[in-house]
Amino acid sequence: MGQEFVLLISASVFCVGTAGFIIRKNPLIMFMSVELMLNSVNFLLVTYSSFLNSLDGQIFALFIMTVAAAEVVVGLAIILTIFRTRQDMDVDHIDVLKG
Amino acid sequence: MFASSWLILLFPLLGFIGLSWYGSRISRNLVGLLGSGAVGASFFMTLVTLSNLMFLPPEERVGQVQTLYQWVSAGSFELNLAILIDPLSVFMFLIVTGVGFVIHIYSIGYMHDDPEYSRFFAYLNLFIFSMLVLVAAADFFFLIVGWALVGLASYLLIGFWREKPSAVLAARKAFVMNVIGDVGMVIAALVIFEHFGTLNFIDVFAAAPDKFRPNDDAMLLITLLLLVGAFAKSAQLPMHTWLPDAMEGPTPVSALIHAATMVTAGVYLVARCHVLYELAPVTMYLIAGVGGITAIFAGSMALVQNDIKRVIAYSTMSQLGYMFLAMGIGVYSLGMFHLMTHAFFKALLFMAAGSVIHSLDGEQDLRNMGGLKKVMPLTHATFLIGALALAGFPLTSGFFSKEAIILSSYHAEMGNIVFWAIAVLTAGMTAFYIFRVYFYTFSGELRSPDAHPHESPMIMVTPLLVLSTLALLGGFLGPWVDSFLGPVFGHIAEHPHDNALESIALLAGIGGIATAALLYMVSKERLALFKEAMAPVYDLLLHKYYVDEIYDYLIVRPTKAIGLFLEQKAERDGVDYVVDQVGLQVREVSHVISLWQSGKVRTYALNMIVGVVTILLFVVFM
Repeated sequence: MGQEFVLLISASVFCVGTAGFIIRKNPLIMFMSVELMLNSVNFLLVTYSSFLNSLDGQIFALFIMTVAAAEVVVGLAIILTIFRTRQDMDVDHIDVLKG
Repeated sequence: MFASSWLILLFPLLGFIGLSWYGSRISRNLVGLLGSGAVGASFFMTLVTLSNLMFLPPEERVGQVQTLYQWVSAGSFELNLAILIDPLSVFMFLIVTGVGFVIHIYSIGYMHDDPEYSRFFAYLNLFIFSMLVLVAAADFFFLIVGWALVGLASYLLIGFWREKPSAVLAARKAFVMNVIGDVGMVIAALVIFEHFGTLNFIDVFAAAPDKFRPNDDAMLLITLLLLVGAFAKSAQLPMHTWLPDAMEGPTPVSALIHAATMVTAGVYLVARCHVLYELAPVTMYLIAGVGGITAIFAGSMALVQNDIKRVIAYSTMSQLGYMFLAMGIGVYSLGMFHLMTHAFFKALLFMAAGSVIHSLDGEQDLRNMGGLKKVMPLTHATFLIGALALAGFPLTSGFFSKEAIILSSYHAEMGNIVFWAIAVLTAGMTAFYIFRVYFYTFSGELRSPDAHPHESPMIMVTPLLVLSTLALLGGFLGPWVDSFLGPVFGHIAEHPHDNALESIALLAGIGGIATAALLYMVSKERLALFKEAMAPVYDLLLHKYYVDEIYDYLIVRPTKAIGLFLEQKAERDGVDYVVDQVGLQVREVSHVISLWQSGKVRTYALNMIVGVVTILLFVVFM
């Protein structure tokens, strides 16, 4: 397995995540897209950690997963509250902060 | 030795503060007692100071400075809270607190039914305090402080009846005129500081004769600027218009401020700064000239006025003219002597007039008075004494002081025949107009049938009696005044003797009284004929030479027009427009920018990604 392969996989997963985030209107799907982006980076970190014989990357990956988990908890709570108050899950309609 | 002299200033100040804080909560009697008591205590302390001063040999009496504490010390500049004790300031203390005390007592009776009794006494005490600050000042700084405070106090007192629009207008007019004077004084003080490096009277007066020669530009500038203040405060031409209007205030105020004390501040200023004025002979001539012209100008206006207080007000202006005339020809102690006798008889006249007004329930028009001789014997007698003193009837106080000035206007070094002629003519007018008032008010029959005149209560009559004694006998103090003030002015004034001129002046006075008697007592037909013959002059005088109208056209209206123009064109269309446009344009621009903030998460994300990608491309390919 060469480095190009790993980079390609990671980049394509990241792009899928990004595209998903921009295209989809459902906040849940968008969340999942964010997770995809995060995990593509994790993938890179872990891979390069083993290539370079350094544990730094893996530790970073663990941190990122922890942060992502915490973020999801908060994010899901917000989404739930919004859904309860508005009965509407379209992010484009949630634009009360516009200028 | 003079450490206790501070109490002179302290008592009225305490009275003012106490009455303004607690005045409305304590009984009326107590208010009157405290208000008058403060000034009475101050008068007593003045007497103590006077006796201390008399114990000193004459040459040590000048330049006693009592410093309370050092207020400002910056480099060579020092400003001390200090009072100057010398014969001149003690002389003024005596008049201010003495006459002021009598007028306070009188006010207890006169203002008795006024709902804002305590406010009146608080203001009166403030006024006395301000005047004392002015007189006690040992440098130009505190002189100006006192000067401005006096202006404030007179504003408050003239506009005391604040629900009366005319009183408020008169107060404003007086204040504006006085502030013009204040500005002159402030600039004068700055020029003095520039040339002398100090504002201290003693240092400035000591340095002036060595530093400058007579008629140097600096001296002329300083004396003329000081004169602006003096003329404004003492209602000399052309800044006299506020004084007659100031009669809108309660009568004790007219007696206190516009006869006895405040208006004499200008005369005091010239006397205090006589060292400077002697270095500016041109200014001296100007003072004498303006004084003389004011005397005759005001005297002529007083001839025809129908408001009893206005006649006396113009008379005040006219007598102040005499004082300035005396100052201008260098006979300072005679001017101060006239200031004193004038304070006595003019306060007396005002308070007697107040007593008449009081008993006629506020009637001030001479034409509605008459026949009060029988109902108000004491007021009548005291008014007569005041009128005789003002007319310069022999052996009354006014006779001595006025006669001395009239004679000096010819015989003094700077005197001449023109000054003398003006002074004599004014003396004749003075006698005429005051006896016109006297006959209108006290002789004949009462012309307003509804009025029920009555003699005023004792608390008002007693001050009249005290002052009439002073007005009658004050003239005999003349030699004492001369010798007492001698050390200040550096020489004892000479009383010239000239039987011919003396008799002419005397005849002018008696002639004036006789003419008034003839026209207003004996023959009414002659009066009517006389009036008809003099109709244009009469009109001119009645309208006060149209000075108010001229000022209105020349100054007030153009100023208003300029103000209106600037308000419209410069303010609204200029400054306001720019300010509004700045605000509006910022709002427009920020509105456009704020469209970027759509509130849509996905757009933000897209923008962010585009940004990141652009930066990456830039980093990689550049």
